[in-house]
Amino acid sequence: MAAIKTFDLTKYYGSTRGIDKVNLQVEVGEIFGFIGPNGAGKSTTIRTLLNFLYPTSGSAQIFGQDIIRHSREIRSQVGYLPGEVDYYDDMKVGELLAYSAKFYRRDCSPRTQELLATFDLDPDKNVHSLSLGNKKKVGIVQALLHQPRLLILDEPTSGLDPLMQRRFFAVLREEQARGTTIFFSSHILSEVQRLCDRVAIIKDGRILKLEDMEELRHSQFLQVRIGLGEERDIDLPGILHKTQANGVWHLLYNGDVNQLVAELSRYKLNHLWVGEPDLEEVFLHYYEKEGAE
Amino acid sequence: MNILIRELKSNYRGLLIWGLALMLLNIWMVSMFPSFAADGAGLAEMVDMFPPGMIKVFGLDIMAMDDPLGFYGAEAYFMVVLFGSIYAAILGSGILAKEQDDKTIEFLLAKPVSRLHIIGEKALAWIIYLVLFNLGIGLATWLSFELFDVGEFSRTTLFWMLTAPLLVHLVFASLGFFSALFFTRRKSALSVSIGLVLGLYFINTIALLSENVEFLRWLTPFHYADAADIFSDGALHPGYALLLLGFALLLCIVTGAIYRRKNITL
Repeated sequence: MAAIKTFDLTKYYGSTRGIDKVNLQVEVGEIFGFIGPNGAGKSTTIRTLLNFLYPTSGSAQIFGQDIIRHSREIRSQVGYLPGEVDYYDDMKVGELLAYSAKFYRRDCSPRTQELLATFDLDPDKNVHSLSLGNKKKVGIVQALLHQPRLLILDEPTSGLDPLMQRRFFAVLREEQARGTTIFFSSHILSEVQRLCDRVAIIKDGRILKLEDMEELRHSQFLQVRIGLGEERDIDLPGILHKTQANGVWHLLYNGDVNQLVAELSRYKLNHLWVGEPDLEEVFLHYYEKEGAE
Repeated sequence: MNILIRELKSNYRGLLIWGLALMLLNIWMVSMFPSFAADGAGLAEMVDMFPPGMIKVFGLDIMAMDDPLGFYGAEAYFMVVLFGSIYAAILGSGILAKEQDDKTIEFLLAKPVSRLHIIGEKALAWIIYLVLFNLGIGLATWLSFELFDVGEFSRTTLFWMLTAPLLVHLVFASLGFFSALFFTRRKSALSVSIGLVLGLYFINTIALLSENVEFLRWLTPFHYADAADIFSDGALHPGYALLLLGFALLLCIVTGAIYRRKNITL
């Protein structure tokens, strides 16, 4: 039995496309990345799975149960972190978590205490006085405290500082070791690469590609900016796209970083800047072409 | 019961402010009556000076100002009904609209609780609040009637004058509740439901003044809890009471049914 299985899941808002014939299968115990640029349909998929939205057509199951007919049973086994966290701002952190815990038929307080300590949260703080990052942490604790079998995380890392992000990922790995399935939506390729076992790529409401992480790890994408000290064209293997303006080259590179450095040693450089490309760019020059094939 | 308890805890400020204001207003009104009544001739003279329309609107053609219940019915009753209805509209629309406006609905809907349950507990919260609201005003008013030297009055009629507003309040809270289905911004839901209260009150007044449009009275909840009717009948018409309650109940059921199938978008 799969943790999540969708069958041509489709959601239109009137005539506006939300998602179109999404077919996914998430196995029990895996960390499944769901990646796509903003507006691709990630949140629509999640909200349909949780029955905030009714599908236009198609269907889906979570742990073998229909997402509409058994929504309440499903939600008792799911922890959800919304993309935009907003909580009752007249509550204290502890009150909010207690309110959340009361919806489940189990004692959540030991786990809540544990998570509060892990994420360095003060239960006596007012929710409305929290920074975005701290609100996100409250959201994480709220999603985890009832020890769900399935975690659905919508862009969970936005707003978290690098230290917290690392702790968060460690907690997710512990959860996975405990048998929890994790559905992780993101628009940041590198964090999905670090964490996930498999990934689905969504664009314009359609699944472009399902990939094993092993494969994706081999194809590392880099954004390279080079100030070239000589008038010549740059040509090296792995370049997906290049533009030049005022002697500065912008490259989108896909391949091994060592090979890139070795190749670049043949050129005279004024400066070199290597960073992570945004997903839009990777899509534009890589996945869209693949999808079209 | 989780949502109910949460709602009861978080909305008490409005209840206190509106409740206390109307309680004090009623105590003040009743306390003034003995001195008004003492000057019976002056009172009659004053009423005679009112334009005929005003006499009709305040029900002074039926209710005598020198009778404590007539005085209460003409001077204070409509304020409890009208201002209480505004409070009820704010309460009913806000309790539902705020979840979507504040985006907390994503938190709530992810919990293992059905949509009907959410609607049911929220409706129960405003029902309990409105009962408490009217109980407070009712007790304060009744005690004022007993403590100030108002003379003879029928306690049954007073009971109905203190109960009928609750039914109107329930109707307007359920209208606010219902409107929050379509106006998911708290401010728009609020404006719409307060507008509804004032609009219907206005229609009621116009219909009282003009015989041509008298039929319009049947369309407003205010008509079914008219102070002059209670004064002359000695009680609220049972059919009217059932009508108001039934309408409120129906609106809650419809609200639940629509909410259950609704796409919750943010």
